[in-house]
Amino acid sequence: MADRRRINGPVGTTIAPIYDDAPEQKSQVAMATRSRPANVIRKMYLKTGVTPSASGSAYLEIESSGNGGSGLKLSCSVHGPRALPRSTPFSPHIILSTHVKFAPFATKQRRGYLRDPIERDLGTHLEAALRGSIIADRWPKSGVDIIISIVEGEQDREISKAQGIEAWDTMNALSGCITVASAALADAGIDCVDTVAGGVAALVQDAGDDAAPSIVVDPIPAEHEKVLAACCIAYLPTRQEVTNLWFKGDLPASDMDVYTQLVEKGIQASKSANRVLVDCLNETVG
Amino acid sequence: MPITILPPKAFREPPRNLHHDSDDVMSDASSDSEDSDSQPGGVSLDSGETIHPRKRRSAATTSGSTFTKRPKTANITSSISVPRSAIVTPGERITTDPQWMRGHGTYLSSATLGEQAITSSLAGIVTRTNKLLSVRPLRARYTPEVGDLVVGRIVEVQAKRWRVDVGSTQLAALPLSAINLPGGILRKRTETDELQIRTFFAEGDLVVAEVQQLFQDGGAVLHTRSLKYGKLRNGVFMAVSGTGGGSGVVRSRRQVWTLESANNGGPIDVILGVNGYVWISKHVDPVIPEEAKNQQTGITNLEEVVSATMYSSQNDRIEPETMREIARIRGVVTALVENGLRVDEDMVTKGYNEAVEMALVSEGGPEDVYLGGERGEQLAAALTGRLA
Amino acid sequence: MASSQHVLLSPAELAYLHASLSLTPPIRPDGRSPTQFRPLVAETGILPGTNGSARICFADGTEAIVGVKAEVERTRTRHDFPSLDEGAEGDDDDLEDNQHDVVKGDNDWVEMTVEIPGYRDDDAGTVFLSAMLSEALLADGEFTKRLWINRRFHWKLYLDILLISPPLSYPLPLLSLTTHLALLATRLPRLKSEGDEDPLFDDDWAAAAYLYPRPAAKKGSKKTTSFATPTARPPVTLLVMAVGNNIIFDPSKEELAVADVALAVSVGESSNPSSSTAMDIETEETKGHHNLRILSVRTIDPPSRLTPPGIPNASNSAYGANAAGAKDTEKKKQQQEQARTAESEAVEGVWKAPRGGAKPLVLAALVQKVLEKGGVADEVLDALDGVDLN
Repeated sequence: MADRRRINGPVGTTIAPIYDDAPEQKSQVAMATRSRPANVIRKMYLKTGVTPSASGSAYLEIESSGNGGSGLKLSCSVHGPRALPRSTPFSPHIILSTHVKFAPFATKQRRGYLRDPIERDLGTHLEAALRGSIIADRWPKSGVDIIISIVEGEQDREISKAQGIEAWDTMNALSGCITVASAALADAGIDCVDTVAGGVAALVQDAGDDAAPSIVVDPIPAEHEKVLAACCIAYLPTRQEVTNLWFKGDLPASDMDVYTQLVEKGIQASKSANRVLVDCLNETVG
Repeated sequence: MPITILPPKAFREPPRNLHHDSDDVMSDASSDSEDSDSQPGGVSLDSGETIHPRKRRSAATTSGSTFTKRPKTANITSSISVPRSAIVTPGERITTDPQWMRGHGTYLSSATLGEQAITSSLAGIVTRTNKLLSVRPLRARYTPEVGDLVVGRIVEVQAKRWRVDVGSTQLAALPLSAINLPGGILRKRTETDELQIRTFFAEGDLVVAEVQQLFQDGGAVLHTRSLKYGKLRNGVFMAVSGTGGGSGVVRSRRQVWTLESANNGGPIDVILGVNGYVWISKHVDPVIPEEAKNQQTGITNLEEVVSATMYSSQNDRIEPETMREIARIRGVVTALVENGLRVDEDMVTKGYNEAVEMALVSEGGPEDVYLGGERGEQLAAALTGRLA
Repeated sequence: MASSQHVLLSPAELAYLHASLSLTPPIRPDGRSPTQFRPLVAETGILPGTNGSARICFADGTEAIVGVKAEVERTRTRHDFPSLDEGAEGDDDDLEDNQHDVVKGDNDWVEMTVEIPGYRDDDAGTVFLSAMLSEALLADGEFTKRLWINRRFHWKLYLDILLISPPLSYPLPLLSLTTHLALLATRLPRLKSEGDEDPLFDDDWAAAAYLYPRPAAKKGSKKTTSFATPTARPPVTLLVMAVGNNIIFDPSKEELAVADVALAVSVGESSNPSSSTAMDIETEETKGHHNLRILSVRTIDPPSRLTPPGIPNASNSAYGANAAGAKDTEKKKQQQEQARTAESEAVEGVWKAPRGGAKPLVLAALVQKVLEKGGVADEVLDALDGVDLN
């Protein structure tokens, strides 16, 4: 979506040169490797009630890959339930609206102020994930806004050119968005059937000539030679139900096992995140 | 095969009815006669007062200079001409004869010699009611008329009335005072009723109602003050084009009837709203609730009891056989519409019987209710062949 | 154009639809079998001004047109590190080919826009549709390689997907099939220049090569020597939903309104690893056994969650005997209490919007149904083979 409201620069763009490290250094840091076991997610910090003026809010931070890069930092605020404007038609349910926005400085390439297609797409995914968890008919004729700012996206400083990696990073961002929004909804006192948390699993090809593809949870794309496929799951642990599934990649259809395993691992990652979420909510109460 | 992909057709045949009409007009009186009235595609627009092309022409010849129609490019050559086609287009002069009054679908324009000409403002067929000339459009949205039976969907609930989508240019209104309140047919409406207006009809609910009166702007006021009107359940809804199109639902003798279905489907109610909204449902005999049975029964009480289910949104138990036949009838109506045939009791019944027979010989057996694509065309062909 | 756009159906209709679709076998409102698609009319090459185009319409008048336009664009290069570009990136399958011309693509080379009448182009639903379609197209990373001309230039492909009619149902399958056909019919002018010089093309349109070369047309496939992927095809995205124990394909708007879960599954067909010469015969023989790849799966937020619930007769104050005692406030209060407590209980014939999500097993079954050998995806691709590409 072009930014039509502001004066933009000329169309012909050039890319500023990026200076690489000296070759010998490069070989050391170019490929960070995964230090966690394949089925362990990164540590995360979650806190609710960070924005007093909002009905509910939460902040989520996921530790960085320890490679001089930045982790994921998300802030979510929930406004509502509140009355809908007069012009909207009657709704027997609560009307959910989700906004996901990367801060302009959150990624390597600066983002505009208008939401771009990726952000809108994330918003739609988030809405699907949350709508399954809230009990919408408890709040007829009302609306709730869920606003997430991604203060800092995951970026690895050393990767001088990260083509194709950003696409996989959005999955990590989405899973964070789901977890933080769920915490904020609970903080706002909106009825939910269960807490929903996001989890990502990926089929990765590690560096090395003969390494077979393996499935890892909570992948950091920069740590792997290549990501073959990934999926992001929003899961309700006590109901054992999936509210949102997003799979992307290239897998042979004849081999459904890999796909099934990916989904299972995604659910596992989501369960791990959910434990943090529940602990955080308990802490707030206690 | 789950998917059928067809190549595009070279060209689409014009709907039969129009084709025939123009044939009739252009050909001489020698063309064989009866068919124009019994066309299956039917001149769906003429409900009595439309002049058939043939009749109109005879009228024109007997009463002298009735219609003056000139090609727009040509000079004024003759004041009496036979209409070349049954269809007039916007801007086409219908007559300059001052004895006619202008009706819907026309306007007055000043002709060259200072005389007023009645000119068409629509593409449609000229109709005459006494001295009133009007043009019925070939295709238009539903225009409500008092007494029409319509199926509508509640789109808005206001303090004392509902707003109902009837496929017209305006939302129709259904006042709280125009419904039968539960618990006594002649009960006065109270404030409580106003407060719980949504318990009678809520957004999305379907109602069958009658047009009670019309506003100046064409908006309709509905009422459901009869036991045959009210909330719809136990069936499926479909919207086809209403009166005014070449196909679709036409005003006819009966808009509502019960069809005895094949394959143990039991009786099925079909409601063809004049506005083109169709409801097909299981026929349910009014059930008298247990509590009411114990009370004394009288005529008013019976009505009370029957109206009890009027605002229910709970479906009765429906057998799979019935559902299958309902789907078949729905398929018949879709096939009729897609093939440009009119939808009325006669066509639906015949189409349904034909569809049942078709299913018997199809590989899916009588349980196969699919009537889309080629099968719909087959069905339409069988119907037109039989009726022609 | 959100899938969850406001569907106004009455609770009684929803209950009926849900009941009939939950039967075994399900009875769909239009009588189709669970895996049957609506019949459609398809043609390609309708727009002479484009590199490729297609049009598909349903019997109900829903119609989509896709036009593909290609422009030559200078490839933005990073002058600094040509070695890094090719060596360390590792984005290509064939690293050993890096020594000379490495054919590689960039996702920026494809621009896809979806236009739905009555919806803004930045509407969340429209963006979602376009993200889904482009995601499937770019998933394997092979597609953009087809747009490579030389190290300095590439084709920029504009895919404009237009829905002509207002969306009478969720248009995803329609748009996907139309895009598929348009891409199959897309041709790019034949390159006359060599190496990295400024590209020069053959004026003869008849000599233009297909973007997706076809096995049957030997003439075409010989000219496109740069990629040996004769049976590869653009992806197809199918919409599949589950109601009760039934899996239903190509749901109409009404059917989607009672879905327990809906999935969009994108399926591609990859190049067969065997030699391209034997391909012609092989495809004939193995018809219906496509070498399918699963490219993308997304849950579609089913609009069923936003439908109005029905009220059981037992707690309906306007129903029968209850209504007779409407003035009896005590009784009414009691009923309301009952209604609260009975909230979670399902009553037969009363619609209740689904809550929560879908069981993982159901989701797996949906994907399995699409992809299994001789399954729906196979048959859809077979049927698409039958479309005349001109």
